[in-house]
Amino acid sequence: MNYMRHIMALVQKDIVAELRTKEMLNSMVLFVLLTMVVFNFAFGSGSAMEAVSSGLLWVAFMFAAILGLNRVFVHEKDEGCLDGLMLCPMDRSAIYFSKAISNFVFLTLVELIAFPVFTIFFVQKSFLSHLWFLIIILLLSNVGISAVGTLLSAVSINTKARDLMLPILFLPVIVPILVAAVKSTELVLTASAIDVQKFETDMIVWLRTLAIYDIIFVLVGFLTFEYVVEE
Amino acid sequence: MHDTVPLFCIDNLNKSFGRRKVLSELNLKIYKGDFLTIFGPNGAGKTTFLRILSTLSGFSSGSIVIDGVDIKEDSSELRQKIGLISHNLLLYKDLNAYENLRFYAKMYDISLREEKISELLQRVELDHRKFDVVGSFSRGMQQRLSIARALLHNPEIIFLDEPFSGLDVHASKILDDILEKLKREGHTLIMTTHNLERGLVHANSVAIINGGKIVYSKRCDLPDLNGFKRIYYEHIGD
Repeated sequence: MNYMRHIMALVQKDIVAELRTKEMLNSMVLFVLLTMVVFNFAFGSGSAMEAVSSGLLWVAFMFAAILGLNRVFVHEKDEGCLDGLMLCPMDRSAIYFSKAISNFVFLTLVELIAFPVFTIFFVQKSFLSHLWFLIIILLLSNVGISAVGTLLSAVSINTKARDLMLPILFLPVIVPILVAAVKSTELVLTASAIDVQKFETDMIVWLRTLAIYDIIFVLVGFLTFEYVVEE
Repeated sequence: MHDTVPLFCIDNLNKSFGRRKVLSELNLKIYKGDFLTIFGPNGAGKTTFLRILSTLSGFSSGSIVIDGVDIKEDSSELRQKIGLISHNLLLYKDLNAYENLRFYAKMYDISLREEKISELLQRVELDHRKFDVVGSFSRGMQQRLSIARALLHNPEIIFLDEPFSGLDVHASKILDDILEKLKREGHTLIMTTHNLERGLVHANSVAIINGGKIVYSKRCDLPDLNGFKRIYYEHIGD
């Protein structure tokens, strides 16, 4: 019970601090929107656009996530607050979970703002009947991105080139989630053109892949975080 | 005040960062109610030693037993008894003073009413800035708030890592008064500093660390400042 209270207090603190400065959210939203505008001009509309739209969406989300993840432990580290948290009489994995939850919330918020813009620019066929699948894809992908990103952000914060280190560590590890997210989003966006049975079979495979990677990444983060942050 | 059973038993402590040995075969006993000041030049290993004692860093080999508890076995329980005042503030600059203290109170599982937080802030003369964000405070004010944060859960053991660094005269006086009060109340205080004069003011026990080893330690009947200066330079070799 205390464990959950610690996590909630940490998440609340992160959200209050972020809403006060909006440092992370502003840069993430601006980056995603700019990327979509640039892609829209680069690819125009038509079948070429339809084929690559889900990839573009996840490239934009992934790099926006990196922008946010780079900032996760900066305040904690620069002001010595990570020491303050590590001195608290609690299981240190609570810090990991709280940071992962905060990242999840911020990333989901950015996606909620960016997705309507994406549909205006890139989506030509209605996918409303499959909207629930899209919501599940976004949520499962965000869990994986936040879980692995938070852990690697903690690793990179102790290195000299911390801003550079996170993408180098993060991108290779996140490939399975990125592939599953792109493929499943593509299924949703092209659902009206494919057979229902094939849609369901393929969708289950990708959602299962996302779920399995989420479980693995969350477990790895939970088990290793204390060793990562302790000198 | 001077117990015979040590609160801290540190035996053959070693700490390395890669190939670099920072602490080497370090042995020390610290007694309950002591005010121990650890002196040493820059890079001697003072801060690393304090970080290990306060459970912030691990160590390579040796053993540390605090109040009968092996630090490696149950550091979470131990942390309830520990407070740290450091030149690092451990405060969130985007939150106000009240929010910072309330947040840390939650982390220590203590329910602090607003009056109690105000009382703590009064103790460090910051009550009038309670709802101002910490980022707008001067360095001295931030350090005073950091002291309030460290004392929030009334810790038995207080670590002080160069606590006077960056403090103005007023903030130093407040910290001096607080340290004297804590000492009278029987808290165990362990301070690191390279400032001999400042370090001897409250101490009833001293140690000199150099090259990762304790090269001198004395408890009770401490020499005066000039006498200690001679001892210090003899052991530091300057």
